[in-house]
Amino acid sequence: MADFVRASWNRPPPTGQVMAEAYRIGVKSLPVLLIIAVFVGTNLSLQGYNAFKPLGGQYMVGLFVSMAGVREMAPVIAAAMIAAKAGTEMATQIAVMRIREQIDALEVMAVDPLWFLVTPRLLGIALVLPALTIISIFATLLSAYLVAVWQLGLNGAQFLSFAREGLAPMDLLYCVIKGLCFGIVIAVVGCFFGFKAGRGPEGVGRATNGAVVTMSVVVVFLNYFLSELFYG
Amino acid sequence: MTLGRMGLLAWNIARVTFNGNVSLPGFLEHLYKVIIRCLLPVMAVLLPFGMVMSLQGLDIFALYGTQRMLSSFVAAAIIRELSPVMACVLVAAQGGASIAAELGAMRIKEEIDATEVMAVDSVAHHVAPRFLALVVACPLLDMLGCVSGIAGGYLTAVLMNGEPSGTFVAEMWVMTTWYDLLATVLKSLVFGGIIGLVSSYLGYNARGGAAGVGRAVNDSVVYSVLAFITANYLLTSAIYGGIT
Repeated sequence: MADFVRASWNRPPPTGQVMAEAYRIGVKSLPVLLIIAVFVGTNLSLQGYNAFKPLGGQYMVGLFVSMAGVREMAPVIAAAMIAAKAGTEMATQIAVMRIREQIDALEVMAVDPLWFLVTPRLLGIALVLPALTIISIFATLLSAYLVAVWQLGLNGAQFLSFAREGLAPMDLLYCVIKGLCFGIVIAVVGCFFGFKAGRGPEGVGRATNGAVVTMSVVVVFLNYFLSELFYG
Repeated sequence: MTLGRMGLLAWNIARVTFNGNVSLPGFLEHLYKVIIRCLLPVMAVLLPFGMVMSLQGLDIFALYGTQRMLSSFVAAAIIRELSPVMACVLVAAQGGASIAAELGAMRIKEEIDATEVMAVDSVAHHVAPRFLALVVACPLLDMLGCVSGIAGGYLTAVLMNGEPSGTFVAEMWVMTTWYDLLATVLKSLVFGGIIGLVSSYLGYNARGGAAGVGRAVNDSVVYSVLAFITANYLLTSAIYGGIT
């Protein structure tokens, strides 16, 4: 990690590579992320309805969705899906390069592999994950709204006014900060597991496997500390 | 075509299972491995989730002065929704991915072909024990996840924010009934089946060297999570949507 900071501090990152990674991570993960965010929203709506129904407060679903969905679920789910898709891809690619000795070849050519392989991925994911978080918030709210109005038969305007009550502009900023932190964690963990992959096909499989588990655990723990910091 | 071949694999697994061709020691060994591998990640993810629920719930309930409702809310949210989903995300990331990695590596090294040459049914010998172990492990891990999530909620509410401990414990089962416990087990069984099928299919049909194994592992996590989150919406609608 310290090696990596030193490696990317001294030289400007390869801009073209950063953009290529940002495109790959952002655009390729978008469909998966959208589907997940939509179904998270539908479920929040259903469960919020069931939780408040016995109290006669089913109109408060909007408040529940906007607080639970926007503050916690959307950033964590976005990070978990990007970890599962882009993060494991990083681990796999670097692990394959490692076992094919392409990383040794880079070193022989006096190219710093940390600078060449890790920096673009780290900057790329830090660039797109906040944006993906905002998109998934939007998809979650939209699908929750549609379920509330069509499946549960609630009043749409009331849903929106309660949803607005649960939210402040600062919440979006907090979500962006969360997305940024999660992106850095995903890239560092993914590349770390890729670099220390073992031999052969099992080595690649095990590196990918270890990377995705470590990422999800670290992201959820980090989420707790960030929430405690912002809202506690 | 992929769906058809996946169905064929499911049929083959069901066939060897009901014919009794799956060895019990192999199944138990894989069950033990899956549970040991997933136990720590599942508990480590559900604990902070419970803590966050408690933190945000206290915020909402403090508005109305009804903090005593917190524990029933946390317990219901974790048992109904969070524990099956998050536990199974972690099972997909750890257990499902390792099934794909193991079967993929066997396929690439032609160990599966070698098994077939020896006239041993590779589905019965390699795939079915792993699949069944995952399906059985999911509800167990889900229940452990519920316990750890509620413990996380207790930690934040009682130990860190000074809510009375007796109220938290006493109010816990107000909203949760045996119906919810049955629902969480049912959900995690279905999710386990989806994860097991997707990852054993992708691992069993891996091709293209070491990179192919990596791709199979990667795809197995993404597609199984995608499939069971979709299934989760349908299951939640079917189980709870009726109470209107």
